[in-house]
Amino acid sequence: MKPIEITINGKLIQATPDKTILEVVREQNLDDIPTLCHDERIEPFGSCFLCVVEVEGLNKLVPSCATKVTNGMVIHTDNDRIKSSRKTALELLLSNHYADCIGPCVDSCPAHVDAQGYIALISMGKYEEALALIKEQNPLPESIGRVCVRNCEDSCRRQCVEESVAINFLKRFVADVDAEHHWTPQPKAANGKRIAVIGGGPSGLTCSYYLTMEGYAVTIFEKLPELGGMLRYGIPEYRLPKKILDDEIKWITDLGVTIQTGVEMGKDFTVKSLMSDGYDSVYLSVGAQSASTMRLEHEDDTEGVIKGVDFLRDIQQGDLPELSGTVAIVGGGNTAIDAARTALRCKADKVAIVYRRSVNEMPANDEEIKAAGEEGIQFEFLTLPTRIIREDNRLKAIECIRMELHEAKPGDRPRPVPIEGSEFTMPVDFLIGAIGQNVDTSFVKGSEGCELEKWGTIKVDEGTMATSMPGVFAGGDAVTGPLTAIMSIAQGHTAANSIAQYLKEGKAEAPDFKFYSFKHRFDEIPEGEFECIAKDPREKMPELPADERTSTFDEVDLGFSEEQSLHETERCLECGCSEYYDCALRKYADQFEVNIEEFIGEVKRYDVDKAHPFFVLDPNKCINCGKCVRTCSEMLEISALSFVYRGFKAVVKPAMERTLPETNCVSCGNCIDVCPTGAIAENFQHKVLGILKKENYDSICHFCSQGCAINFKVIDENIFHVANSEDSVINSHNQGYLCLKGRFGHRYLSSEDRLTSPLIRENRTHRKASWDEAMETAVAKIKETISAHGPESVAVFGSPNLSNEELYLLQKFARVGLKTNNIHSLTNMLYGIDQDCLDDSIGMTTSTASMDEIGKADVIVVMNATGSEENLITELKIKKAQKRGAKFVLFSSSEIKLTRFADLWIDNKKGTSTVIMNGLAREFLKMPATDRQAIEERTSGLSKLEEMVAPFTRSNVATTTGTSVSSYEELLSLLMDPDKKVVFVYNLDSWREKAKNDLQSVVNFLVLTGRLQGEGNGLVLMREYANSSGVADMGVSPNHLPGQVRVDETEEISRIGKLWNSSLPMFKDSNLKEGMKFGKIKAALIFGEDPLALVENRKYFDHLGFVLVSDSFHTHSTAEADVVLPAATYMEQEGTYTTCDRRVQLVNRISDPKNSYENWQIISALAGFFSENFDYDSAEDVRKEIENVSRLGLCSGGIPNLEDVQPGFSIYQTQLGTMNPEKPTIIFSEEFFRSRVRNRLRK
Amino acid sequence: MKIKVGLGTCGISAGGRAVYSALEEEIAGHNLDVALQVTGCMGMCYDEVLVELVDKDESHLYGRVSPEMAREIINSHVINGKPVPEWIVKGKVVEETDTFFDKQDRIVLRNCGIINPESIEDYIAVGGYEGIRKATQNYTPEEVIEMVLQSGLRGRGGGGFPTGLKWRFARQAQNDKKYIICNADEGDPGAFMDRSVLEGDPHSVLEGMMIAGYAIGSDEGYIYARAEYPLAIQRLKDAISQCEERDLLGAKLFGTDFSFKIRIKQGAGAFVCGEETALIASIEGKRGVPRIRPPFPANKGLWDKPTNINNVETFANVAWIILNGPEAYASRGTEKSKGTKVFALAGKIKKSGLAEVPMGMTINEVVFDVGGGIKDDRKFKAVQMGGPSGGCIPASMGDIKIDFDEINKTGAIMGSGGMIVLDETTCMVDIAKFFLTFTQNESCGKCTFCRIGTKRMLEILERITMGDGKEGDLDLLEDLAHKIKAASLCGLGQTAPNPVLTTLKYFREEYEAHIRDKKCPAHNCVALLTYRILEDNCTGCTLCARKCPVDAISGTVKQPHVIDQAACIKCGQCYDVCRFNAVEKL
Repeated sequence: MKPIEITINGKLIQATPDKTILEVVREQNLDDIPTLCHDERIEPFGSCFLCVVEVEGLNKLVPSCATKVTNGMVIHTDNDRIKSSRKTALELLLSNHYADCIGPCVDSCPAHVDAQGYIALISMGKYEEALALIKEQNPLPESIGRVCVRNCEDSCRRQCVEESVAINFLKRFVADVDAEHHWTPQPKAANGKRIAVIGGGPSGLTCSYYLTMEGYAVTIFEKLPELGGMLRYGIPEYRLPKKILDDEIKWITDLGVTIQTGVEMGKDFTVKSLMSDGYDSVYLSVGAQSASTMRLEHEDDTEGVIKGVDFLRDIQQGDLPELSGTVAIVGGGNTAIDAARTALRCKADKVAIVYRRSVNEMPANDEEIKAAGEEGIQFEFLTLPTRIIREDNRLKAIECIRMELHEAKPGDRPRPVPIEGSEFTMPVDFLIGAIGQNVDTSFVKGSEGCELEKWGTIKVDEGTMATSMPGVFAGGDAVTGPLTAIMSIAQGHTAANSIAQYLKEGKAEAPDFKFYSFKHRFDEIPEGEFECIAKDPREKMPELPADERTSTFDEVDLGFSEEQSLHETERCLECGCSEYYDCALRKYADQFEVNIEEFIGEVKRYDVDKAHPFFVLDPNKCINCGKCVRTCSEMLEISALSFVYRGFKAVVKPAMERTLPETNCVSCGNCIDVCPTGAIAENFQHKVLGILKKENYDSICHFCSQGCAINFKVIDENIFHVANSEDSVINSHNQGYLCLKGRFGHRYLSSEDRLTSPLIRENRTHRKASWDEAMETAVAKIKETISAHGPESVAVFGSPNLSNEELYLLQKFARVGLKTNNIHSLTNMLYGIDQDCLDDSIGMTTSTASMDEIGKADVIVVMNATGSEENLITELKIKKAQKRGAKFVLFSSSEIKLTRFADLWIDNKKGTSTVIMNGLAREFLKMPATDRQAIEERTSGLSKLEEMVAPFTRSNVATTTGTSVSSYEELLSLLMDPDKKVVFVYNLDSWREKAKNDLQSVVNFLVLTGRLQGEGNGLVLMREYANSSGVADMGVSPNHLPGQVRVDETEEISRIGKLWNSSLPMFKDSNLKEGMKFGKIKAALIFGEDPLALVENRKYFDHLGFVLVSDSFHTHSTAEADVVLPAATYMEQEGTYTTCDRRVQLVNRISDPKNSYENWQIISALAGFFSENFDYDSAEDVRKEIENVSRLGLCSGGIPNLEDVQPGFSIYQTQLGTMNPEKPTIIFSEEFFRSRVRNRLRK
Repeated sequence: MKIKVGLGTCGISAGGRAVYSALEEEIAGHNLDVALQVTGCMGMCYDEVLVELVDKDESHLYGRVSPEMAREIINSHVINGKPVPEWIVKGKVVEETDTFFDKQDRIVLRNCGIINPESIEDYIAVGGYEGIRKATQNYTPEEVIEMVLQSGLRGRGGGGFPTGLKWRFARQAQNDKKYIICNADEGDPGAFMDRSVLEGDPHSVLEGMMIAGYAIGSDEGYIYARAEYPLAIQRLKDAISQCEERDLLGAKLFGTDFSFKIRIKQGAGAFVCGEETALIASIEGKRGVPRIRPPFPANKGLWDKPTNINNVETFANVAWIILNGPEAYASRGTEKSKGTKVFALAGKIKKSGLAEVPMGMTINEVVFDVGGGIKDDRKFKAVQMGGPSGGCIPASMGDIKIDFDEINKTGAIMGSGGMIVLDETTCMVDIAKFFLTFTQNESCGKCTFCRIGTKRMLEILERITMGDGKEGDLDLLEDLAHKIKAASLCGLGQTAPNPVLTTLKYFREEYEAHIRDKKCPAHNCVALLTYRILEDNCTGCTLCARKCPVDAISGTVKQPHVIDQAACIKCGQCYDVCRFNAVEKL
């Protein structure tokens, strides 16, 4: 097509006319146009209107995903009008998105500690990981786990059911589990920069911790004798034992923090002196320690009147006063309660808290108030002290007045107003004022030049904590006024980030805008929403009995037991979205800095549907992009999902509003991948892990021979799920689509039934053994067998699920190590999978077309295969080809899912496909246009074939096969046209419709008609297992050496023998199956196969004296084995697999082998006992040898250039994720087949 | 003598069937030589049931006829030759004859109310199927298209795209199979032009489709009719079988190679299915959702084949054009809008019904000369044209001409012909809310702006009418409206904000009164109303107090009463019952 010229953002561009604007912009990398509803694999839809662009001359904005470019078009993709429209579109979508991005617990925590994440980790018993996660935001969980104000619990959704989850106690639980501080991170290398932190309270400690981790040298300057700030000097021992605080502070300072105590800012040093001493930055976290006044006369000069903070601090410094008589505490906050409970422990006879409002308005934690009550503390609510009554200088009583509460403006606490004439006198011996604290920041004023707020706190930029002085940052109570420890920690962390950024980049910037959707933002959460959740009361914190408490300063809260903690984790409602990191809506919401306030109105609320074991459908999150509906209907032609209702109520649900299992859903889960939000998500085996990060590992599915690209999303070796990746959508042959097995099947890898240690059978049971012992035992047994019965008495078996490297080593072990040709795959041997059936006609039994040829064919014939159940991705390719106009012919004696889609269904009698194929051959030869001479030139045996097919007349075919004449005529019309390209798809491993000669007859037809290879032509042999093709290529067969070398190829055999430094054993078909059945085989070494899963196979094992089985999991066969060697799973090792269409793909190691060794190591170690030729350093080493040994090669260096391909011979390999569908796929050229074995037409 | 009874949906719902039976009985009872016949809607829906007595060249049209009146008409007029002048709305014997038809020019409605729609003979008798015969025998398809182009006929469904051009595109599309679709999914609130045509003259639509089929090279047509039009569908079905029986539909028609068949597809009443691509999806059995154009249906339509879609009224014009020549059609109307246009007059108008007027007539002429002016002689405030996609044209612009382009300039659209007349008691915010509620419910839900944007606009309008409007709401409304128009896939979304934008344009002060003064100037928005008793007028009759459902009115007999504003629920009963104009609406 002639290119056209268009202008995009002022730039003149050449483009192809049938492309959309979006395609052109993306191809030429002109802009990053946002879109939610576009999927390049399906037809443009144009519903989200995020991708709008402006085309000059048009009033409206056009969706770039669906608008084709035309010559002379002038396009703008990024002006203010477009941005504003996109932003509004997002705001509108989010205004009807009744969902939480993150848990309210995480959002309400000033430090944003990922509570949902650590609760999930605790629920899995991953305590260390939970602790590490907490410490990403809060380095003092043991202390904070005891004293926090728990905004998280105040906002916890579980309150809609009964009570909040005991989040803080769970944090304390994991922190206490690791009380010895086994988990210690490694700070980055020192970067030479020095930071001064003024004040060693929680904020200073936090800032120090995160800066130290980044490699900064931190010095903490503390006025008081010890670090800890208000945690030490404000919180009484019975709430936070100082031993715990000491340990936790030490854990931080041991990472390399320098400490100077007893030094005071303003006296001993100033900010300026620190700077001139070489500190690069200063963090001010001096706290707020001076007590506020009660505004009573003689407050400061009356004996018996004490300031609350001073009282608590003095006690901490060892100054334990003897109190007696009545102690009155004034105030309603936690300090008041702390002072009251402490006073009780200081032997006061009676303690009363005097508070001017009622219990409902008390700022102190409810649990603290309750504990105080239990200990006998009295409360005088609605009471205000007005005068100190003293005798000499000694306090005698206080005069108080009763208050009443008057309504205040909305949002404020009720206003206390004195009741006239209600004055009364309360005799007290001590009066402790605990009504608040002030900040003393006089030292930074004036000469230091640090700006203050009008109430005396340090003025900072809230996003960065930067003060008005360059390089000086501040946080904690000195900035906020007396607030909470967790806020101080949050600010310390922010300041640490800012300081690091300031020192690296010269300035600190507030973090990027983040938008979070929350259910509570719309309106009150309806009461009914959580009705379906069974009530399950919150675990009670075990405590010291109330009567024991007051006589001691021992910690009152004893901590959750493990059992309590695990139960408590079950109460978490997992509000935060599982798709947090993959949500496109969230990504764009941040990017466009959305604000949904103006659009808050009606929001649709739906029940979350978990009726399907693998899916969670949450229509609340649906944005009607329709990608799932369209993928399901257009790609899969299933339509399990659909839009329901109209207008604002329109939403995606399972078709006809049934549950998903009630539809015709095939559980492929491709809807999960296409969903841009969390409306369709995976129903995990584990809890939703909040905002815990996932690593992406591209890999290859190993459930069948198609070798689809998959992506492991891994949190850790046992917490992962499988999805596609952006890359695989573009670069994989499966276009990122997966089937049920590929997406959900990998769950077995985290099964607990895993073999990790070798086992030796003793007295009918297995015992664990060391690797050395197991190996030695096995070797001794094998050697014993060989010396008694000769090498032919031992057989080695490898699974078609093993990698090429493993398979290659196994056959070499047999041939070079054990000196036997008894090498096979039990799967092939026992179930009679014929790997040789095409050897005589085309040289080897293999696919002659790649799966991509399906897309280029005019006619696709599927025989002995079911598609849906076995190979969904091939089915997708066929359906896609049909849309292009290709015809799909299905041979199947019974109705299967695929018949519905077939253009022509040949429902011939089972086993009669050969008859039809022979009939086709006959008709072809009878056609006048058929060029016999040309056929004879490239084939042999034509006349014999002709003779053989002669009786297969139309009427004979019809009678024998039961196929209607019209169907057969239609088939003929499709296949006889020489201009039509034809691909046959045949499952070699299936017995569904198989007859002995049908594959041969298919090949005869392809050879006759010249369609054995070439674009859009050929044979695709589907295989059952990931590496069924590799089994044959690697020579795991008594009839083949690696490279598909057969018995008669003496030159090749001797070449390989030389490479192996070995005279090869007699190359003969020894009939292993018979050998096992009748006792010729005495020892079997089985790798990755489970023949004993079928009882009928037991007969082959009756005569075996020794069985070694290697597998990753317990199987029927490991149960019977004498020695069991645990194997690595394919996730735990590197290796290559050959797909049914001969692409060799590398699978990388994702996690360490739980059994300690990769399988190539195990096999070569075993073989090493028999030969010196098994010295490898890596799987790659093995691969290099295969390259040399196998004439088919096993390219390790990417796709060869077409020019580099040897004439008449090519095999290509794809590196992970780099397959390029644009490049032509060559399996073998026709010359290759001719050069090997002249195409033989076999009778 | 011939007696015709209007049995369109309007006539039937006014009791036409009973009138018909009464006439039938009387005629049989007196053994009269009178042909009693059914006919379609004559357009004077305001005077249904209509009974027309035709004797030689003389016609007497009786209006608002009841069965009893029907018997009397037979006795007095037919048997005794004495017409009953007080019941006659049109005819020589009455002085004040109805002028409803005087300024009309009936092409589309040429047979409506005249012939029996259930009889193909009637249609043939007035020249039916001569158009298609002439087209197939005298003209090539290209010539037919040229004639339609020359006539200047533009799509009557609302878009106003030149019909001939549309046909030409479909003609030019290369394919062995093409379709004609008749869009009979009339869905605008208050519009019933297409229904009346289908009920009153179904054959004219079939003939129009056949001509279009011949012109573009199609042999199959679909009529997509809403299931809410059972009578129209029944008459279409009958008409199709009558045609098939007479070989007017089927293979090799009129001795040529032209073949044509027509099927009816009933829609389930989704407004959006009036949009071409959604309509096609619906016929195909899919969810009625518009898709992106291009490709246009002319290239890729029903079952991916080239498809030409026109609406009922457009097709009803076609045979007339072929028979009378394009020049006759083009001689009517303005420079760019030719021919006539059918309007469904509704709302606060005296003669609500169906009128066909030449293009170029002014709105005032339609409202006052044809429609008889405003009900109760209230003040004319505006006309709402084009249904939910249209807008309001204020009375001050009543001299504007009926012309596609002139009307577009006002911000309203010609639309399919709904014309709702509004008077001073209509609140413009409320009218905008009404139409937006309709589009919001009828949005297919595909596009973000149309699905959620119209909902949010509606919520803003709702709060304005509830007295909760805020400063900035109008800016927000306008901003959203422009974004919805700019970024929606189909006409429904692109025009949904029009009722709001035009009312904002011409009646902004009314919106502002709601927001700033918390007042509804039309005294229509309940939440903003106050009822007060005028002391001077109140006689203390106690009627209002007795009627008040919440006992909010107090007062003693013969003393002025008072309304407790806190208790008042603003139901307006006091206002309605007061005989002394003592209750004031504020």
